[in-house]
Amino acid sequence: MTELTCDELDALLPELFDGRLSPEVESASLRHLATCDQCRIVVGDLERVGEMYREHGRLTLPDDARARIRAILEQG
Amino acid sequence: MTTAPQPSIVALFERLADGVYTLAARMTRDRHAAEDIVQETFLRALTRLHTWRGEGSIDAWVYRIAYHQSIAVLRRRRDEPTDPATIRDLVTDPEGSAERRVLTMELAARLDAAIGALAPTLRAAFVLRDVEGLSTRDVASALELSESAVKMRLKRARLALRRELEDYL
Repeated sequence: MTELTCDELDALLPELFDGRLSPEVESASLRHLATCDQCRIVVGDLERVGEMYREHGRLTLPDDARARIRAILEQG
Repeated sequence: MTTAPQPSIVALFERLADGVYTLAARMTRDRHAAEDIVQETFLRALTRLHTWRGEGSIDAWVYRIAYHQSIAVLRRRRDEPTDPATIRDLVTDPEGSAERRVLTMELAARLDAAIGALAPTLRAAFVLRDVEGLSTRDVASALELSESAVKMRLKRARLALRRELEDYL
């Protein structure tokens, strides 16, 4: 496969994050990232944004609401 | 047509309650509205569970109900300003040293503000895919969009959040 441009890699980012690229295209993406500082910074930042939200962005239903709703559903 | 085996509503609630609450709270930025949405979502799921045919994941089906509920709340209060105090209630007190708690609370507040600044449709795609970890296909099903539309929204959301949070990257 020919080498990817920055724009081509940009278009592939959703699939790259999803791990849904074919092995050939994934290899080409990783080759591009190995040689392109700009794209590597963008991809690294976007991964970090996702990590921060997974770590700090999930919310927990408060216990009192959980108990109340579960009781309603159990009666249903 | 055969009907897919139906999971118990209580088991569904136990598995998805926090995810549905996260979606609703991130969409509405209001803890009490989010609790109401969680209740209404699972009550509707209870009464409609027999209509679920096993097409797509049941998680996406439940999230779709919650998404519609959240959008309905946003529409009802379109002209009402959001009370900034309500979102602070969403951040639970973190554990650890006092210094770490302060830093975590600061970061959580920045994350709240950044995600709150996104358009609701971008917010929903980001929460379901990147926070709750649904597949792109399930996010598309929950939001009744094509997968390519979900990818476009995710990309816009991620780039906007990157801009908002660059101090932390």
